Amino acid sequence: MRPKENIEKFVRVRKPHVTTSRQMDKRTLNDSFAAMEQTIRAKPADHKPSAPRIVTLSRMMKLTAAAAAIIVGISFYIARQGPSEQGITTKFLEVAESPSEIMTMKSLTIAYRRDGIEGIENQCEKALKILGPQPASISLGDLFNGSKS
Amino acid sequence: MVEDKILVWKFNRGSKDALRRIYEKYKDDLLGLAVTLLRDRSLAEDVVHDVFVSFAGTVGTFHLSGTLKGYLSTCVANSARDRNRLRSGRDAGPDVVEGAGSNSDGPMEHAIGREESGQLKDLLARLPYEQREIIVLHLHHEMRFREIAKSLGISINTVQSRYRYGLDKLRSILNSVVTK
Repeated sequence: MRPKENIEKFVRVRKPHVTTSRQMDKRTLNDSFAAMEQTIRAKPADHKPSAPRIVTLSRMMKLTAAAAAIIVGISFYIARQGPSEQGITTKFLEVAESPSEIMTMKSLTIAYRRDGIEGIENQCEKALKILGPQPASISLGDLFNGSKS
Repeated sequence: MVEDKILVWKFNRGSKDALRRIYEKYKDDLLGLAVTLLRDRSLAEDVVHDVFVSFAGTVGTFHLSGTLKGYLSTCVANSARDRNRLRSGRDAGPDVVEGAGSNSDGPMEHAIGREESGQLKDLLARLPYEQREIIVLHLHHEMRFREIAKSLGISINTVQSRYRYGLDKLRSILNSVVTK
């Protein structure tokens, strides 16, 4: 056996066997129980951990919370991007059929993009039907801006 | 240790029996550690008392990552170090370890055991506190160097070198005793 092992064995086998006294046991246990009760009283009666603590302690809950956050984030992003194609169509129809804006540059542009020059003609006819003939004094700018005198 | 895990589980749910069982299971080992480190029985008793009171205060939130014995031994070692610092500069005072309990086997074995333990105690007392602490934690309380390093907040190399220097010094003290 090497010297190091000898000395290690020497120390190991001579471990002191110390025993506690009854007074010490009594004092320590009484004080420990008192500390324990004090801690229990200081906490909520049901000992249920709070929601953030559950999330931080449980690995499964961490993953669930992360997934929920991602879903919420994506939903928010989509909502911020504006209406869907269906929404655009609805808005377009609203613009095209709004009597007050029926002859604006915007409505004419949309009509042109949709059906070309025929679209503009249709739009003008529709405006004429809804609004009736405009007074002769109306300027071209007023007509295009959609303002009514 | 499954038993310790169960005891801790019960303790966290406010079981006084579990706390009492933990105390009964480890009190002698912990007192032995404190006595070896401090060489003063009354101080050692105070250290073990404080450690258990603090431990009891963690009911409901205590989380055991290693072994319970390792955790409690670390607490005792840390508390003993603090006490040792407090009394540094002063003499450690008379050894009153002789008043240790008398629950050993028989009178003869008890006397031999006490003599051998006393011999080791005297030898260890001649080591610097830092070396003594590591030797006792490693050889008597079966803590790994890594655990000791973590609990003391020092590097594992420092722990190993203190252990080696401590053993060397112990050996030279023993040799000088034998040659006398």
